[in-house]
Amino acid sequence: MYDVIGIWAGAFFTLAIYSFLYKENPIYRLAEHLVVGISLGYGIAVTYSNVLKPRLIDPVNSGGHWILVIPGLMGFLYITRFFPRISWLSRYPIALLMGTSMGVAFPLTMKAAVLRQLESAIIPLYREGMSWDVVLGSVIMLLGTLAALIYFFFSKPHKGPFFGFGSRIGIWVIMLGFGATFGFTVMGRISLLIGRVQFLLSDWLHLIK
Amino acid sequence: MKRTVPLLIVLVGGILMMVQYFIPHQVSQSIFNYYTDWAPIVSSFALILGIGSLTRVHAHKIRRKADNWQYSWAVLIPLYLMPVLGLIWPKSMGGGMDAPSIFHFMYMYIQIPIQATMFSLLAFYIASAAFRAFRAKSALATVLLLAAVVVMLGQVPIGELLGSWFPKLGLWILRYPNLAAKRAIMLGVGFGMLATNLKIIFGVERNWLGGVGK
Amino acid sequence: MSAVSIWERMLNIDRRWIFLGIGIVSVVPFFLRFGLPVVTTDEVESIYNYVDSLGSEDAIFVSFDFAPGTQAENMPMAVAVIRHAFHNHVPVFMTASFPIHQTMMISAIDYVLNPQTEGFYQNVPFGEWERIREKGITDRDEIVAAWEAEGNELPDGALGWAFEGRDYALLGFAPVFNLVILGMTNSIETQYPQDINGNPTGEMPMLHEHKSLREVDMVLTCSGSGVCVWWVTFAREKIGLPVAFGVTAVMATDYYPYIQTGQVLGQMGGLRGAAEYEVMLEENGITPSTDKAFTGMDVQSAAHILIILFIIIGNIAYFAGGFHKKRLLKGGR
Repeated sequence: MYDVIGIWAGAFFTLAIYSFLYKENPIYRLAEHLVVGISLGYGIAVTYSNVLKPRLIDPVNSGGHWILVIPGLMGFLYITRFFPRISWLSRYPIALLMGTSMGVAFPLTMKAAVLRQLESAIIPLYREGMSWDVVLGSVIMLLGTLAALIYFFFSKPHKGPFFGFGSRIGIWVIMLGFGATFGFTVMGRISLLIGRVQFLLSDWLHLIK
Repeated sequence: MKRTVPLLIVLVGGILMMVQYFIPHQVSQSIFNYYTDWAPIVSSFALILGIGSLTRVHAHKIRRKADNWQYSWAVLIPLYLMPVLGLIWPKSMGGGMDAPSIFHFMYMYIQIPIQATMFSLLAFYIASAAFRAFRAKSALATVLLLAAVVVMLGQVPIGELLGSWFPKLGLWILRYPNLAAKRAIMLGVGFGMLATNLKIIFGVERNWLGGVGK
Repeated sequence: MSAVSIWERMLNIDRRWIFLGIGIVSVVPFFLRFGLPVVTTDEVESIYNYVDSLGSEDAIFVSFDFAPGTQAENMPMAVAVIRHAFHNHVPVFMTASFPIHQTMMISAIDYVLNPQTEGFYQNVPFGEWERIREKGITDRDEIVAAWEAEGNELPDGALGWAFEGRDYALLGFAPVFNLVILGMTNSIETQYPQDINGNPTGEMPMLHEHKSLREVDMVLTCSGSGVCVWWVTFAREKIGLPVAFGVTAVMATDYYPYIQTGQVLGQMGGLRGAAEYEVMLEENGITPSTDKAFTGMDVQSAAHILIILFIIIGNIAYFAGGFHKKRLLKGGR
C-alpha cells in the first residue's frame, strides 16, 4: 500500500512537471521549490547519521577519542559566519580545507590531466597489421591535439604557417569534437525522458513490462 | 589574525600535502591519515552555511511578501522537517529514515520523481532547438551538424539498419578527432587547475576570503 | 500567400507541436517493441570482461555519483554491474559522493533485491546471519551452506542470496568525497565506521578481506558530474586502482582521452552503454532478460530519427525561405 501511494504521488509530480510544457503553473512552481527544501533537508539528516554521529559524536561520547573535538570545533567555526563581528573565524576551516585540498590535488592532477595525456598523445602512428582507418585516426589524433592546442593558444596571433594554419585545422577538429558531444547530448536528453515514460507506463500504469 | 592566519594555514597546509606525496615517510603518512580522517568531519559543518543562507533568502522573501513568496514555505518546511522526521520523530508515528517512513516517502516518491522529470524536460527543449536553432550556416557549422547526425545515428540500433558504416564512422569520430579536441581541452583545463591551485596556496588568489571582517 | 511566409510560418510554429511530436515518439515504440539489436563496443566489453574475470576473493566498488536528474541513464549501469558482480559472488561496496546520490544507491539496491524484479537476489540483512558470522565462517559457499542448513530456502525466481556485509555493503555518503577516496586508499573503515543502516563495517567479512582500496579490484563510477574524474585522479593515479566509467551521454565524449591512456578501463556512455552491458548479461545467462536500458533503445532510435528530421526540415525552411541572406527571422529564434 505504501509503495502504491508512493508511485501515485510520483506520477502526480511527474505529470505536474510536464504540465509546464503547456504552460507555467502553480503546481510546477510548488514542485520546483519542494525539491530544493527536501534535498537539503535530506542532506542534513544523512550528514548527521553517516558522518557526525559515527565519526564524531559516538567516539567522543564513548570516551577515549577526545582528540576528535579538534575537527569538531574547527567545523563549528563555520557557524561564526552568521555573526558579523566574529565571522572572520569561519575562514579558518575554509582555509584548512582549501589549502590542503589544493596541495593534495596538485601532484595527482598533474599526473592525471597533464603528464599522462602528453605521454599518450604521441603514439606509434603505424604498426604492421594496422588498418588504414586506425592509421588515419592516429595521425588525426596526434596532429589534431596539436592543432587544437594551437587554437587555444591566444598569446600569439593566429597568423603564419604554424599558428595560422595550425589554428585553422584546430577549429575543424574542435568542431568535430563538439559535433560528437552535441549528438551525445541529444541522446542523453532523450534517455532522461525515456526514464520517466518507463516510470509512468510501467511502474504506474503497468501497461508495459 | 583575520587574513594573515588563514592565508598562512592555506600556505602551510598546501605545501605540507604536496610534500607528503613526494616524501612518503611515516610521519607525513600519519599526518595525511589524520587529515583524511578529520576533513570530512570539518566539512560536514559547512552544511550549516547552506541552511543559513537558504533560510535567510526565503525568510526574507516571506517577510517582504515578494513575488511568489508563498512558495518559500515549500522550501523552508521540508528543509527543517526532513531532519526532524528522519532523526527525532518516533518510528511509531512514521519517523526514521528507512521505508516505510515519511522521510523515505519524501525523498523516494517526491524528490526523486520531481528532479528526474525536471531534467527530462530538456528532451523537449533540445528537440525544439533542433528545429529552430541548429543551422548549417557555415562550413564549420555544417561539419558540426554532420558529425552530430552521424554520431546520433551511430549510437542507436536503427543506425545499424540504415548502414553499418554509421556506427563505424560514429565510433571513429569519437575515438580520434573527438579525442584530439577533448585532450586539448583537458590539457588546457589541467594547466588552468594547476595554476589556480598554486595561486590559492601562495595567496595570489584570495577571493575565497570573502569580504567579511577585513 | 508568398512562399517566404510559408517558410516563416513553419519556422515560427508553436513549439508545443514539437513537444507533442517528441512525446508521441517516446511512448509509441514501447508498445510496438521492435527490439532492434544493440551491437556491443570495445569500451563496454572491456568493463564486462574485467568484471567477469573477478571472483569471490575479489571486490569492487560501485560509486553512485549521480543525482535523480540523470538516474534514467546512470541507474541501469549500476544495476547491471551489481547483478554481474552478485552472479560471480564478487563483494560490492557502494558509496555516494553527495547526500542526494545516496538516494540513488538505495534505489539501485532496492531494485536488485526486490522480489518483483525479474532475476532478483534474495536479501539477507546483516543482523539476520549474525550466528553464522559468530561461528567464524567466512567462505561464501560455506556461508550459503550454513544459511540453508538453518532451513532457509531460496525463493522462486531468485538468482541467489545477497548477504549484507559479505556480498554488499552500503557505505553511502561522506563529505569531501575526493578526500574520502584518498582516505580509503589507507582504510575503508576509518572513512566509513558504519554503513547507512548503522551496522559496524569493522564486523563485515568483506571489510576484513578488503581493508582499503589497495585490496579492491575495480571501481565503477556511475556519474552525472565531474566526480568520476576524482576516481581517476585520487585512486587510479595514487594507487593504480582500475576505474570504469558509467557516465551520462553528455559527458561521455569528454573522457575518450582517459580510455586511450588506459587510465579508465572502459566506459558506458549513456543509456546505450547500459543497454550494451544488459545485452551481454543476457547473452551469457547472467540475467534472464535484458532490462530498462535495452527496452528504451527503440524509443531512442525513433527520437533520434525525429530530431534529425527536425534539423533537416528546419534547415530546409531556413535556406528555402532565404533567411540566411536576408533579414533576421522574426520570433521563434
